[in-house]
This record gives sequence, C-alpha cells and structure tokens, in this order.
Amino acid sequence: MTLIAIAEQALNGLIISTFYALIALGIALIFGVLRIVNFAHGELYMLGGYACYMAVTLLGLPPVFGVVFAVILLMAAGMAIERTLIRPIHAGKVDRPDEYAIMITFALSVLLLNLANSVFGPWPQRPRPIFRGIVEFGELIIPGDRLAAASVGALLIAGLMLVLRFTWMGKAVRAVSQDRQAAETFGINITRTSMLAFGAGAALAGAAGALIGPVFNVVPPMGIVPAIKAYIVVVLGGLGSIPGAVVGALILGQVESFATILIPDTTRALAYKDAYGLAVLILVLLVRPQGLFGKRERRA
Amino acid sequence: MSGLTLLQKGILAVLVLALVLPYVGLQDYWLYTLTIGLYYAMLASSWSLLVGYVGRISFAQAAMSGLGAYVAVLTGQLLDLPVLPALAAGVAVAGLFGLFIGWLTLRLHGAYLGLTTIAFGEILRIAVTAEYDITQGSRGLTAPPLWQGAGPVAYYYVFLAAAVGSVLLMLALLRSRVGLFFQAIREDEDGTASLGVNVTLWKALAFAASTAFAGLAGGLYAHFVQLITPSMMSLQEMGYILAMAVIGGFSNVVHAALGGVILQGLLQVLRELGEWRLAIFGAVAILMLRFAPNGLFGSLDAFLRRRR
Repeated sequence: MTLIAIAEQALNGLIISTFYALIALGIALIFGVLRIVNFAHGELYMLGGYACYMAVTLLGLPPVFGVVFAVILLMAAGMAIERTLIRPIHAGKVDRPDEYAIMITFALSVLLLNLANSVFGPWPQRPRPIFRGIVEFGELIIPGDRLAAASVGALLIAGLMLVLRFTWMGKAVRAVSQDRQAAETFGINITRTSMLAFGAGAALAGAAGALIGPVFNVVPPMGIVPAIKAYIVVVLGGLGSIPGAVVGALILGQVESFATILIPDTTRALAYKDAYGLAVLILVLLVRPQGLFGKRERRA
Repeated sequence: MSGLTLLQKGILAVLVLALVLPYVGLQDYWLYTLTIGLYYAMLASSWSLLVGYVGRISFAQAAMSGLGAYVAVLTGQLLDLPVLPALAAGVAVAGLFGLFIGWLTLRLHGAYLGLTTIAFGEILRIAVTAEYDITQGSRGLTAPPLWQGAGPVAYYYVFLAAAVGSVLLMLALLRSRVGLFFQAIREDEDGTASLGVNVTLWKALAFAASTAFAGLAGGLYAHFVQLITPSMMSLQEMGYILAMAVIGGFSNVVHAALGGVILQGLLQVLRELGEWRLAIFGAVAILMLRFAPNGLFGSLDAFLRRRR
C-alpha cells in the first residue's frame, strides 16, 4: 500500500469520525444527565436531514441555514420529548423506569420513522451541500462536500466542548452527570438541566443529519446505521463520557476505514463493514462495560 | 367456567371463532392476513415472555425469527432434511443461540443489554446478507411449501395450532415454579439469588426459551411466504414486534399475542392510510407505555375486574 493510499484512508476515516462523534456526543450528553440511552437518536438525526431539506430545497435558503434550522428545530423537539416522555421517569411516575426508558424511545423511533415516511415519502432527497467540487492536497483528492461538512461538524464539537467547559450551563450539565444528588444540593435546577441536555443532544443529532444529508441522501431510514455506529462509539468510550465519545469516534472511524482495505477478500470485507464495530461493542460490554473512560457502575 | 374472568371467557370465544373462521366464508386474503398475524402473535408473546416476566430486554427477536427461518430452509436444502426435522433444527439453533446470548450477557442489564442484543441481531442480519453464496443475500431465499398442495386454510390452521400451542406452553412454564423464578428475578435479582434460586441458570434459559419460540415462528413463516429476505431480521421489524406487544400488553403473553393478531389485521383494514398506519401504531405504543403500561388487554382486564 502506498503512502498516499494510507493517507487517503486515514483522512476518510477522520471525516467519518467527525460525523460519528457529532451523533455520539448527543447520546453521551443525554446518558450523562438522564441516565438513559436514547434509542430514537437515529431518527432525530434523520429529522435533522429533513429540516435541512425543507430549509434548503423547499425554502431556497443557503445550505448553512439548513444546519441552523435543523439545530433550532431539533432543540425544540428534544426539549418537548424530554418534557413529555422522559421527565415522568425522574418524577417517579413510572413503574419500571429502566424498561420504560428503553421501550418508549424505541417506540418513538418507530413513530418518527414512519411519520417521515408518510409526510416526505420513501424516496431519497438531496439538498444542496455547503460546498461542491473537490479539494486537492498535493496528490490527495477529497470530495469537497464531505470535507466542508466535516469541518463544520468539527467546529460544532469544539464549540460544545467550550460551552461544557466554561459556561454555567455546561458546568451544570457536567455536575449533574457526575452526581445528581450533590448537584441538586448545590442548587442546580435538575429539571431545567435535564431538558437542556436532551435538547442539546437532539440538536447535535439534527446538526449531524443536516450536514450529512446533502452528502449521502435524506431518506426516512437514514438514521438507523449511523445511530448504531454512535452506540458503538459511546460504549467504546464509556457511556456518558464526553471525551470518550470523541476518542471512540476517532477509533471507530479508523478501524472501519482500514479494516475494509486490509482484509484480502474485498467484496466480503465491504459486506461485513458494518459488523466490525458491532463486534467491538459486544466485546467492550462483556469485558469492560464502563468502556475506555466511563465511570464504573456496580451493575451495568 | 365460573372461575374464569370475563376477559378469559372473551379469549375463549375468540378462539372458538378462530377455529370456525375458514368455514364462514372468509376470503383467502383475510385468512392470509390472519396467518401473518399469528406469526406476529408468536413473536410478540415470546418477546413478552422475556421482557414482561423476566425483565430482560432484547432487540434480537426479529433476528432470531430470521435465524430460525434460514436454518429451517437451508438444512432442508443442503442436508435434504424433510420439513419437520428442518423446522426442529431451526428451533434448536435459535434456542441455542439465545442460550449463548443469555449466558454471555448475564452481567448486563437495561440499556446495556438492549445495545448488546441489537449488536447480535444486526451482526446476524449482516452475515445473512453478506453470505450471498448460501443465503442468496437480499435477493431472498426461496422456501418449499410445508407440504405439496397446502392451501390457505391449511396454513391458517397450522399457524393457529402453533401460536395457541406456543402460548399454552409459555403459560404452563409460567404457572410452574420456573415462572415464579422468572418474576422473582424481575423484581429483585439479588434477593432471589439469596433465597437459593439459580438466577444464572434461569436467566440464560429464559432467553433460550424466548428465542426458540421465535425460531419456530420464523421457520413456519418461511414455509408460508416461501421467500425470505434479511429484511425480516431488521430493527424496523423489531420495532413492529415491540409495538404489537406493548399495545396488546407486554406483561402477559396472551395479551401480547392478541396484540400481534389485531395489529396485523388493522394494518390490512386501514390500508387506505398507507404509511400513516405505522406512525399511528408508534404513537399508540408510546401512549400505552406512558398511560396504560399493561396494554390494551391488561387495562381491559383490570377494568372488567373492577366492575364486578
């Protein structure tokens, strides 16, 4: 393998990692604060794609506004979901909170997926990307739409990190993730923080969908595979860990990128591409359920 | 019959009705729909056996049905097994795979278990899609009929017998000591273990029992529709099974089975609504989980009891 081919695979992996990280960070944020895995995350991502389609294709706005529109819309949707479906768990209004959280978010994904199927139809849409054409670094050729989408994604991730690190809101989110009761004792409004965390997680998924939609296609089932990748990423990094989600995404992106060219039988290697990460997920959960950076729980 | 509740009497009446249905001039189309509904009844009830009674979540039920289907068809094709032993092979492989998953995931709970079972199911689906030489991938694998010349009425009765038989077996299991072990594990795993119940064994076996029933459903389904594709193992399919069990009532195997038949029937009755039907089912499932966690029939049962 030539050096240029290696660089190309590494860069492709890095671009994919950015998308994975964007989706996974939302799941990690939600798990950190609310202690639930959002099984409808892929469908929130899909809604982001359609928000972008509505803004860019139907309203004719510039592509960047597609992302902005998706973030605003999904933030609102996420907060509404938290308010109506998730809050009852922490208010003690649900008999079996663990099962309820899993099943209600899974049922929500059924609802959203088929809602999109009904409203937008099953055919693919392709809104205008932020940037068209190709970018050349010497001999390295990269599709411009992917690079632009990944760059915006990276900026969003950096922004999120700064907000979490330095603002009061971000500190509240981190405090609640670390210790719910202690945070409450210190006067943090848990209800508001929970709503904010779910809204922000949904907004991140929406941003990812709006960025990637134009690169691949916007279709109702588009969220299923990326969501599974994001689950792999958060499990690898440790459920609820923010740095874990980023590191996990970097690892998965490279593993997938290189596994497909290192395995000799290429057609088979490609067919199994989505299975490598799943094997990683099972292995991590069995051997080290807290992942690379997660907090160890008595019972996983 | 005095010991029966109103709902149980209703269920008996439905069963009698189900037995005579082919003779009251029902079109083949509706028999076909009901047969598929009975397939879903088996999946929804076997899923609720695991989730509702043992409190172990699984998103691999659709994949296990697919596993049973592919094993049944492939053993028939490659080893020249007759239909019945091939079906049994499908049940055995699905059950053993369930035992394997159940044993591997003994330490995991809640969302962690959900994610692991998603991973197992998806790996199976990907493998079936990828091994084109054996399974024909997404083009689909053709399966022979259950026997030459089997018509819609015959299939209907086979599925009715299989579904009712499966549910009766589950009920027998749940009425026994084992059923109590299952529910005790759901309520308090450590407490149950401290009373001398072999929690490890029963948790693994519950998984195996649930997936074995799914394997049977899948095998029969393959011989009924006679063309199976990996999409029967997808997470979307799993979503429908979950919606059926939740709407019927996932804390009771009979209620979950009824949910499967009724939702499949409604899917055909409301065909004019197109994709909206599934969106509505998702919404109803959410409302049920939130406001009536015992499902349609669980709530009905409670209502009828209270009125007495």
